[in-house]
Amino acid sequence: MSHSTLGLICLLAPLTAFFTALVGFRNNHRAAMATVLLSGLASALCALLLLAQHSPQPELVTRSWIHAGGVDIYFGLLLDGKTLIMGAVVAVITLCIQTYSLNYMATDPGRGRFFAFLALFEWAMLCFVYSPSLMQTFVFWELVGLASFFLIGFWYSKPSAVAAAKKAFIMTRIGDVGLFIGLILLFQSTHTLDILRLNATHFETTRIELITLLLFVGIVGKSAQFPLHTWLPDAMEGPTPVSALLHSATMVAAGVFLFARFHNLFMQAELTLTIVLCIATFTAVLSSTMAMVAKDMKRVLAYSSISQLGFMLMGLGAGSLFAGYFHLVTHAVFKALLFLCAGAYIHHYETNDIIAIGRAGGRKLRIVTAGLVIGGAALAGLPPLAGFFSKELIIGSLGHGHPRIFVIGALLASFMTAYYTFRMIFLVTRPNADSEASPDQEAPDHEADDHHAEGSLLPTHAPIVLLTLGAIGLGFLGDSIARLLGQSAHHPALAEMAPAIGVACFGVLLAWLDFGRSAAAQNGFVSRMPAVRRLFEQGWYLDALYKKLFVGLAQAIAGLLFGLENRGFDGGADGIASGTRAAGRTAAKAQTGRLQLYIGTSILLFAAAALYIGLGASR
Amino acid sequence: MTLEAYLLLALLLFSMGLYAVLARHNLIAILIGVELMLNAANINFLAFNYFLHLDPAMAQIIVLFVIGLAAAEAAIALAIILKLYRKHQSIDVDAMRELRG
Amino acid sequence: MNIAFTLPFAVIVIGAFLAVTRSNILHAVFGLAISLVGVAGAFLALGSPFTAVMEVLIYVGGIAVTMIFAVMLSSVSSPAERGGFLRKSLAALVAGLFLAGGSLIIVNADFGAGNHLSTDAWSIQAVGRDLLDRFNLAFESLSLVLLLAIVGAIVIVRREPVLPADQDDAPEEEAA
Repeated sequence: MSHSTLGLICLLAPLTAFFTALVGFRNNHRAAMATVLLSGLASALCALLLLAQHSPQPELVTRSWIHAGGVDIYFGLLLDGKTLIMGAVVAVITLCIQTYSLNYMATDPGRGRFFAFLALFEWAMLCFVYSPSLMQTFVFWELVGLASFFLIGFWYSKPSAVAAAKKAFIMTRIGDVGLFIGLILLFQSTHTLDILRLNATHFETTRIELITLLLFVGIVGKSAQFPLHTWLPDAMEGPTPVSALLHSATMVAAGVFLFARFHNLFMQAELTLTIVLCIATFTAVLSSTMAMVAKDMKRVLAYSSISQLGFMLMGLGAGSLFAGYFHLVTHAVFKALLFLCAGAYIHHYETNDIIAIGRAGGRKLRIVTAGLVIGGAALAGLPPLAGFFSKELIIGSLGHGHPRIFVIGALLASFMTAYYTFRMIFLVTRPNADSEASPDQEAPDHEADDHHAEGSLLPTHAPIVLLTLGAIGLGFLGDSIARLLGQSAHHPALAEMAPAIGVACFGVLLAWLDFGRSAAAQNGFVSRMPAVRRLFEQGWYLDALYKKLFVGLAQAIAGLLFGLENRGFDGGADGIASGTRAAGRTAAKAQTGRLQLYIGTSILLFAAAALYIGLGASR
Repeated sequence: MTLEAYLLLALLLFSMGLYAVLARHNLIAILIGVELMLNAANINFLAFNYFLHLDPAMAQIIVLFVIGLAAAEAAIALAIILKLYRKHQSIDVDAMRELRG
Repeated sequence: MNIAFTLPFAVIVIGAFLAVTRSNILHAVFGLAISLVGVAGAFLALGSPFTAVMEVLIYVGGIAVTMIFAVMLSSVSSPAERGGFLRKSLAALVAGLFLAGGSLIIVNADFGAGNHLSTDAWSIQAVGRDLLDRFNLAFESLSLVLLLAIVGAIVIVRREPVLPADQDDAPEEEAA
């Protein structure tokens, strides 16, 4: 099949499935699920075929939509290395998660709707990734956010889910304002919407710095970087497959992808790159500290997602497109894997609490636990798993011509990543009832442990196994990915890798001492410092700060206005109101209800006007 | 004859229709007045086209459309009048004053 | 004076006068019919026999007859013309002012009118072709409007099904 056919199937299958499922979800969940699954399969196949048949030159498959003011707005696909890899990753992970959701959502009364929204998300995300023009990029960037809103708030009867959905939507919207202004400025200075041509343009320095900074504001919102990162942990209120797909693997990576997409532009802006490095490093460290104390499994993973997104931006900001992009791909795979494992525990033990899961016998789910350990090791950056290679590249790229502080920050974050990942793994696999750790909530008792085991476990296990294989093997595909991106893969020497491996191993070791060994207190070194623990647990009080700052400010203004209104306007308003009422009563007398009187009056005015004009003309 | 003569004829017809609309009590008589006004407009269309050398078929087509719409309007208006008659036992326009202030 | 103008003029004015003054509504409808025949004559004089035929067919044959039906269905008795004189003179004043103003404008305006068009130019073929070609959409829409008007008229006048216990509808039954 030609590329355009494959591309069209890839993009249109999820859209078709979305509408079909939306029509069918009320009374036929089975049909909705089957349609969405089939479309996911079709998209994944097409995306993989497109990747397999890639040509060295970028290829455009477009249809013109509007031609206005000398600008051609078109929709379609841009097929080059970046989009092909990302498209394949998105489509395959979406398929995995759709399969996984068959079991996870099997008894949910809204499962048809859930699958419809999954298809909507896949459509929006693929259109965003393959986008050849700014217009399409922006439209689907927003649609992806909309799908995220729907899916976070999927359990809309749960107030916390609704609040989280609203928070995610509003926080990302703050970033989108910046992005939108940036895109407008970009268009204004180039008069083209074509991404390929934009990337080949050279700008004057101040202009491109302004534009890229504004684009970066959008990226900060979408990819949950400091200071807009607070929405992502809350977004874990959605179903776990959603967290796996949107809030770790693909949607939040859209910001990073945008950075990679406009990498040439960012490379022209020295100032922006420095700011990106600062924010990314700070975010990576900050969110890792929060992950060290969280007891909710999904929150640990959410903080870790934020920190890994920071890593990607560090790589890209350091000038290595390949390093950041490679980490984007590997992270998508192993973080989706971790979330699916977390979902399996949560589904089985009906609690999010790591300690409670461990005590309830978490390691008895063997396949899931194996996935958790391998995914965790990949996240921690232990060789030879996927995360090791990509993280290594990032730290390596930071080492070349950038201030030491960034490398130190990256190593610190890397150490904490290893620590909190293995803290989670040890708490699940080596529960110790006598330890100091106390779960926030107990797992509900099951009379029969296998009462969840109804139906086949294949839909749960197949994606986990597949992604586990990905987490093991993907690291060795670095060269082919580099070739697709048109970059040369940089193989760091062993001496360069030593510090990173060292801190990762140190993190694991410390986790073993604190949580793993049988005599461990299971009370990490952070928890022994109550003030620090509280700081980390509360997310450095950023939420409270924002609340104080913005809500407090709004309330102060509101209070001021209320006083003014009470004293100043009320008297006047009352006067106006009574005056209006009296005037109305008077004027109502003119409403006689006599139709002919109305017509006569209006015609009389016409006649007067006609007479005026006629007499004026005759004079 | 000149264009002005036809325009004056149309104006006279229109004014007579207007008088009926303003003066009559009977709803059907008012409807008659409206029809007269519509026809005055039709005469204007044809007269302008005839004397000003515009697109030849255009005026005729507009007149045909006006006639068609007038037929629709008359059908609906008469239906409403019948309904009002059933409700009020009268087709006096002065009886329909429910919208007075 | 031109007979092609004066004859329609006379018929129109006489018919319209009957239509707007007769208090017997049937007479008024007949006046309307006469006036419309005059309008058809004016159309003929303006070189458009096709519209003239349509005018007679639809207005005189259709609308006027429908009005007569409506008059008969609403048991004819035209409302007493109460408060007659003041109302009529006011209406006549407004209409007269309108007539005067309009006439002044027409007399003083320069329409740049030259000789009238040769009637050969407007053939029925041209009308038919334009109707189904250039104005096809409007034409089809009009047919839809007419259909809806007919259906709407039926729906409006349809009697609500009377429930046996419902006393309120009883007068309506008598009225019909």
